[in-house]
Amino acid sequence: MRKRVLIVDDHQPFRAVARELLEGAGYIVAGEAADAAGALAAVAADAPDAVLLDVQLPDGDGFEVATALAAAAAGPAVVLISSREADDYGRRVASCGARGFIPKSKLSAATFAALLE
Amino acid sequence: MASTAVTASPSGDAIRDPVLLVPLVVAAGLAIGGLGVHERVSGTRIATDLALSWALVAASVVMLERPRWRRARWLLAATAFALLGADLEWASSHTVWTLGFVLEGLWAAFLVHLVLTFPEGRSWSRVAGVAIAGAYAVTFGWQLVGAFVVPDGRDVLSVAPHASVAHVIDRSQEISGIAIALVVLLLVGQRLRVLRGPARRVQGPLLVAAAVTVPASLVWLGWVIATDASTSTLGTIGRAVAASLPLGVVAGIMGSRLRRPEASELVVELRTEAAASMRERLARALGDPTLDVAYRLGDGRYVDATGRPTELPRGAGRAVTAVTAGGAEVAVLIHDPALLDEPALVESVRATAGLVLENERLAAVVRSQLAEVRASRGRIVAAADAERRRIERNLHDGAQQRLVTLSVALGLEAARADAAATAVVARAQDEVEQAIVELRELARGIHPTLLRDEGLQAAVEALARRTPVPVTVEGAVPDRLPDPVELAAYFVVSEALTNVVKHASAADASVLLVQEVGALRVTVADNGVGGAAITADSGLAGLRDRLEALDATLVIESEPGRGTTVCTEIPCGW
Repeated sequence: MRKRVLIVDDHQPFRAVARELLEGAGYIVAGEAADAAGALAAVAADAPDAVLLDVQLPDGDGFEVATALAAAAAGPAVVLISSREADDYGRRVASCGARGFIPKSKLSAATFAALLE
Repeated sequence: MASTAVTASPSGDAIRDPVLLVPLVVAAGLAIGGLGVHERVSGTRIATDLALSWALVAASVVMLERPRWRRARWLLAATAFALLGADLEWASSHTVWTLGFVLEGLWAAFLVHLVLTFPEGRSWSRVAGVAIAGAYAVTFGWQLVGAFVVPDGRDVLSVAPHASVAHVIDRSQEISGIAIALVVLLLVGQRLRVLRGPARRVQGPLLVAAAVTVPASLVWLGWVIATDASTSTLGTIGRAVAASLPLGVVAGIMGSRLRRPEASELVVELRTEAAASMRERLARALGDPTLDVAYRLGDGRYVDATGRPTELPRGAGRAVTAVTAGGAEVAVLIHDPALLDEPALVESVRATAGLVLENERLAAVVRSQLAEVRASRGRIVAAADAERRRIERNLHDGAQQRLVTLSVALGLEAARADAAATAVVARAQDEVEQAIVELRELARGIHPTLLRDEGLQAAVEALARRTPVPVTVEGAVPDRLPDPVELAAYFVVSEALTNVVKHASAADASVLLVQEVGALRVTVADNGVGGAAITADSGLAGLRDRLEALDATLVIESEPGRGTTVCTEIPCGW
């Protein structure tokens, strides 16, 4: 069964490229959100299998969203992305309950799939 | 300018001072003495009472030296009159005798009032106020009631003579007297325990006298009750005891007169370069350990000896005395208001300290300017940091976002391009990737996100991981420190590690972070070639303003062949 993915990023051009990338790799893009509140609402409405989640959001950060999603039973798998590296965020990457972290420039169907396995 | 929170005006009250009372008390004493002689009262008794009342009024005159003790002076004079008033009981005239009977114990209430409002005339506490009111009620009010029932032929007020009622009134007066005396003793004891410095010096003797007098009165009252004796026959003992209070007053005043020569030795002492600070020397000369000195700046503000701005106290808790040199105020002494009771002592210090304090003031002005320079440097650094943070954010939100989007798009394109195009796209992707890496390094150097989010320890550990030379991080900084401190420490580590990579040829390096009380110590050491120095164009030199704004020091040890150690200690106010 094809996995349904929610894309969360405040930069529209990036969302468009990410959508193309994911759809090309056989995923269904269940929706897009531009901020933390939109992300939580979209997860509640669409129940995606995975969330591609940017760390830096206009109304909060991806770690808070990931922590909130991890707290829910049977929540989606969260993959954090950022134009910074994991090392720039310290322990929060490991402690927020996300599946993993991909620097945006390294985002590909392969790196994404590897974390969802 | 006489900027005084508690004003001392020794001259203004002269008219209202009880100087005129002296002839009145002397005259009243002579009249009572005459009465005593006429009525054949024993000479000893007459002499005792006259001596006591004149001693009281004489003490009240000596107290003129204490401008704030006006109320206490009136109470001493009132006690003198009340003592003579009680002697009216010597008279054979029934009317005069009755007056004497009614006034018999009033002197004791005046003394309770004097002690419990000493020295400024305000009741010490609510309990003290109740004790004072009780003393008047028992010695005067209740005595007046007694006058209506005492079965004494001389009592013209005796409208319903009743021996047992009169006896009950007598005993209840004595028991209440004991209760009040106990309260006074307790309050005096508390007061003596808390008084410090000049207040203890000037008020102590009277309070000690009270602490001796009151137990004596207790013994006396106890004896009266135990033996069922008549109160009126025992007045003399109580009066003799009461005489110790004016002695206490005089002793206190004489004691502070003896201190004055000590104060004038200050002139000699102030002109020698002693190890003790100016504040300590003045505090010693004035006998007030709480004394502070504030120096006046040209713009009317005040600073302490270290140049820090200071506010002059308002209200009655502290007193302020201006010190002038050449007609201009140079400093103020902030001291215990009790020192206002020794105006001559304060004046002698004021007169000698002016010139020396002017020198101290100039030093304080320089320190204050230095502190302002440091504060302004701190503000400049803080403003620059805010700007760096904004730039880092802009880089991240703008150029970096676009480049990563481009990178992902190129990756997507590479997958579906034909063989010829793939190579071109792959090269483009490499270029974009390189640009992203460089931009990221630039952004980190401008303002490290991790430092802001996770603190110094996490940021330094990340820095160590990214350094191409193996770096161990030891020590711990568990707390978040003020932003400027964290940033300064981070940049020192960052610059030092950059130098290790560029110049040291070291096999490895170490960073030691130690959070001490009041300071953060950061040490970066390597085992490289050494021989490093801070030159004008080095990165560490660029941190000078940042470090000096925090009053931090930077030490480099770098002997050739023995590695390099960079150490900074940054004070942080926690």
